[in-house]
Amino acid sequence: MSSQQGKWREEQVLIICPGSHTTMAQLGCSELTPPAHRIPTRMFKDDETDEYRPFHTYKRKKQGANGDGGGNDYEYVEDRDSTEGAVYPIQGGRIVNTQAFLAFLDHVHSLLTTTYHNTPIMLMASPQWTRPDCETIARYIFEKTKTPALCLLHSAVAAQYGLKWPTMTVVDIGFEKVDVTCIHDHIIVSHKDLGFPTPTRYISGGEVFTQKLLSLLRDKNFTYDMAEQLKKSPLCEVLPYAADLPELMDLPTEGGSDTAAVAEVPKVNEPAVPLGVDDESGNIDEKADNDGVLDVANIVTSGNAREFLAKKEREKAEKAKAKKGKAQEAEAAAAKAVRLPNSRRKVNVFHYEELVHEDVQVPESNGAPKPAEATLANGEAPAPENTPANGDAEAAVPANGDTSSSDALPFAADATGSITQRRTKRVRRDIEVGLERFLFADRGEIDRITDTIYRAIQNIDEIYKRSGCWDNIVFVGNGSRLRGLKENIMQTLNARHLVSPSTATIFTSELPSNMATPTGTGSQTPTGSFTGPLPTTSSVNPLLQAATTASLGVPGQVNAPGSTTGEAGPSHHQSHAQTPTSIKMASLPTYLAEWTKNGYEEAMFLGSLVAARLAYCIHNLDASTTEAQRQMSLNRVDYNELGPKGVRTHSMLG
Amino acid sequence: MAAQQLTTASAPTDIYGGDEVSALVLDAGYCHTRAGFAGEDVPKSILPSFYGSLKDASQLQGARDIFGDECLLPHADFEVKNYMSRADSVVEDWDAASKMWEHMLIKRLQPEKETHPSKNGLNDPADENGDVNMEDVENQENQEKPLAESPLLMTEAPWNAGKAREKAIEIAMESWDVPAFWLTRTPVCAAFAAGKASALVVDVGGACTSITAVHDGLILKRSVQKSPVGGLWLSAQIRSMWNSSEPKLDPMPTFMVESKTPVDAGAPAQARVRKFDFDISPSFRAYEDERLLTEFKESVVEVWRGPGRYSNPGNEELVKTQPGRVFEMPDGSNQMWREQRYRVSEGMWDETAALPTNEADTITKAQTIPELIKSCLNSVDVDLRPQLLANIVVTGGASLVNGFNDRLNNELMAMYPGMRIKLHAAGLTTERRFGAWIGGSILASLGTFHQMWISKKEYEENGAGIVEKRCK
Repeated sequence: MSSQQGKWREEQVLIICPGSHTTMAQLGCSELTPPAHRIPTRMFKDDETDEYRPFHTYKRKKQGANGDGGGNDYEYVEDRDSTEGAVYPIQGGRIVNTQAFLAFLDHVHSLLTTTYHNTPIMLMASPQWTRPDCETIARYIFEKTKTPALCLLHSAVAAQYGLKWPTMTVVDIGFEKVDVTCIHDHIIVSHKDLGFPTPTRYISGGEVFTQKLLSLLRDKNFTYDMAEQLKKSPLCEVLPYAADLPELMDLPTEGGSDTAAVAEVPKVNEPAVPLGVDDESGNIDEKADNDGVLDVANIVTSGNAREFLAKKEREKAEKAKAKKGKAQEAEAAAAKAVRLPNSRRKVNVFHYEELVHEDVQVPESNGAPKPAEATLANGEAPAPENTPANGDAEAAVPANGDTSSSDALPFAADATGSITQRRTKRVRRDIEVGLERFLFADRGEIDRITDTIYRAIQNIDEIYKRSGCWDNIVFVGNGSRLRGLKENIMQTLNARHLVSPSTATIFTSELPSNMATPTGTGSQTPTGSFTGPLPTTSSVNPLLQAATTASLGVPGQVNAPGSTTGEAGPSHHQSHAQTPTSIKMASLPTYLAEWTKNGYEEAMFLGSLVAARLAYCIHNLDASTTEAQRQMSLNRVDYNELGPKGVRTHSMLG
Repeated sequence: MAAQQLTTASAPTDIYGGDEVSALVLDAGYCHTRAGFAGEDVPKSILPSFYGSLKDASQLQGARDIFGDECLLPHADFEVKNYMSRADSVVEDWDAASKMWEHMLIKRLQPEKETHPSKNGLNDPADENGDVNMEDVENQENQEKPLAESPLLMTEAPWNAGKAREKAIEIAMESWDVPAFWLTRTPVCAAFAAGKASALVVDVGGACTSITAVHDGLILKRSVQKSPVGGLWLSAQIRSMWNSSEPKLDPMPTFMVESKTPVDAGAPAQARVRKFDFDISPSFRAYEDERLLTEFKESVVEVWRGPGRYSNPGNEELVKTQPGRVFEMPDGSNQMWREQRYRVSEGMWDETAALPTNEADTITKAQTIPELIKSCLNSVDVDLRPQLLANIVVTGGASLVNGFNDRLNNELMAMYPGMRIKLHAAGLTTERRFGAWIGGSILASLGTFHQMWISKKEYEENGAGIVEKRCK
């Protein structure tokens, strides 16, 4: 019944890439676009039914109910933003709560499509998923739903399908885990992971950096959300690896005078007030050059603030220009500070936005906008310098437009004169951040990642496979979106592990190591170095071929099988050279404009789309390819025959 | 539930004819421990048998054990230990062994059980009084029988003691509640992996080299020969060579180097050394040194292929005319190795050529590989010898040293002229390194093997002694 295969259209395939934090999902793989849906990977346990629900649900007393209505006094309210009581079924890539995970799959499915019977599923699996996990998922999907086919896809293989290189090292930096998978010629040859319980769990990945940032800024009243947002903002950067500096990064300094202060770790509790120019600025209007004062605590709403800042900047420049005669050098310094890139500035301003929910009582005349406080911010903002940038200085706009759309969950009760309305406000604060925004790049964590990459590649059994993996390193996973992280890791690897190519190639003759004793005929004179197996086609250098085959004919020499690694045959010579002699990132495809914009950190999703097409949507193949395609996914017919263990053979788990 | 009935083991076709009981296979060696599912061709989980023991400042009582290569990183108060014994490749520390195995078989290969809220880590911030919860966890663990559905096949060294064998079945039956158990010898498995029921198995492992005659799937006990000439012994030889070279080499392992700059061959290193504000324990340093030595063995060391010994006149001069290999140390210093790279491995064949090391690593003539094979063959029936020589299985990671098989072949031809000698060595590196595991995987997935398992019931009736009676 293999005719069952290939009956689906591209629009029907459901692609799910679960992550510990966010799950990417999309129905249809006809367009190779970034994921249509990003769903938080969490479920909420319902205490009464013991089932899992997708949102936090709580019971609330109905408005106007007066207690005698029996069970009808309460109503259930879904709070889509709350994380209270959330169960995260995947942790560090590992399924820790199977029931919740299956319920989550169901939720994703019902969110995207209504039917099961013609929707084959492509599900990306983390390397941490155990074989019984995969079997449980297969059993659930085939027995509880009417899904016609399931394909489980190893996440590193998925990344490979997205990036098309046959040999590569996939470094997947996730929320709480890092996976390093080496793929040589489409086969997984080595794997290491961080963040797996050993048995205590030391997390690794993006979360480590957030935690570090949070610990550095805790004294400034930073919350987790603030740290997370700061980390994602362009302000936070991992500075390039500087091998000869004490902190291994080139921290910016404030002018020449402050170098000493920068050399040591800056005090975390230094006040959040601007580190203005101190001496020269005595006679200058503070507004003009004091860059830090721009922490406009009271500016509200996103768009305005930027304009406001720009305006402020302009004004300042003009003012400074006016005072040019008086304080030329100060102006120069200020202007320079403005133009400096973030990585050269000692301090920078972080615009923190948060959504504040509150239940407000509003008059019944609902629907009418409530412009009361809104005016205050949009017009001329009051001079912001006077307001310190501390946590409670928030001015809020009840932005009606935003609120009613998605975030707010208004519900109405009839009788009363006022109704309670859930409102979401976007509050914006500007906070000045010092060197913490560079220091959060925890050296220990980066070292852990680089060590793991090094060990993963050097642990590949066949030595000749290593160099290919060193030359094609790719970083995926949204943890690697952190500015400068990839570059820093590559620089670290290069500085620490690169075997200098000059000496290695000059002296090392990579002639086949199972070559016989030289015969003095000159036929075995080294012809230079090469790495990797010789090409077996007729295009091979004839001299080389003569040299290598001659070694078989030496009398008295018996070649035992398996003398070299690999099925010994001179034409399959495998290098024993020390690696790495070069460490490079694989180049990323450029032909998918949308993905170039989105970034290839989510390449595994792209790969899942490609794999879904290959597994489900390619028709009219020849017999052997059809058979290969059949092995890519498990369809219902095969499931009925093989049971859940069918996923062991009918999947792309590597 | 319908779903439950579909478990493969209970479906009638799967009992004898089918290959499927989802058994687990565990193969413990001194350097690595391998675990995985029967029927697969590579163990899913390969961990060093070395584990870390971390003394926490907060945890005054005892140390915490951590498992896995990834977590063996420099820490304060950190020791690297091994649960196996170096001399014999048998389990030495049973506490650590069972923890390690549990980590591999259960944590790595089994799904997370529906856990207790305190255990799944979700509610960590909420747990204030750790004591109470810890007790709960233990209770929970006692009730849980983590491997109740998977039979377990373990391998053991041929000289494993009866006590140790009983201990193994006890752990499997009592603490993991496996439904069936079997213990098999590594040479038998290695022979099976090569597709042979009778073979002379030359297993050159990390800590030990052993030569065993296997006949019809059973080891011939008297034939078992063992010597320390293995991967670690080779490392000691390399170290001795580095010590005696001019100038003396004392390379630092990778973890100590922050960054390096390329230098010319033979020039002093220019590297920035990593500083740690705590002491690095000697055991951790030794473990890291071994990483470096492994790399050196992989890319530089070679076995003189013969014919004849390396020390025979003329050979060394010949090698000197050949190009050598450059090896760059983690600190960037590099140097060419030419004749030395043959000399370090020559002691495996010729005890007089072995470099001087400390007493523990000094070997006698009887411990060289040719002598081991000779005494192994001398202890078996004359009629069996030709068959064994025609079926020599070479396995073990240290046999991957370049040229090993050629030399072995040459030595055997010199020792047994006129006999038919055939070496069988797997081509794939993984098959050579995990030969015993693969054999176990084949064995446990055979339909006909299912009648061999020691079942839980048999164990309950007969006690741990059953393993001596059944697993010969």
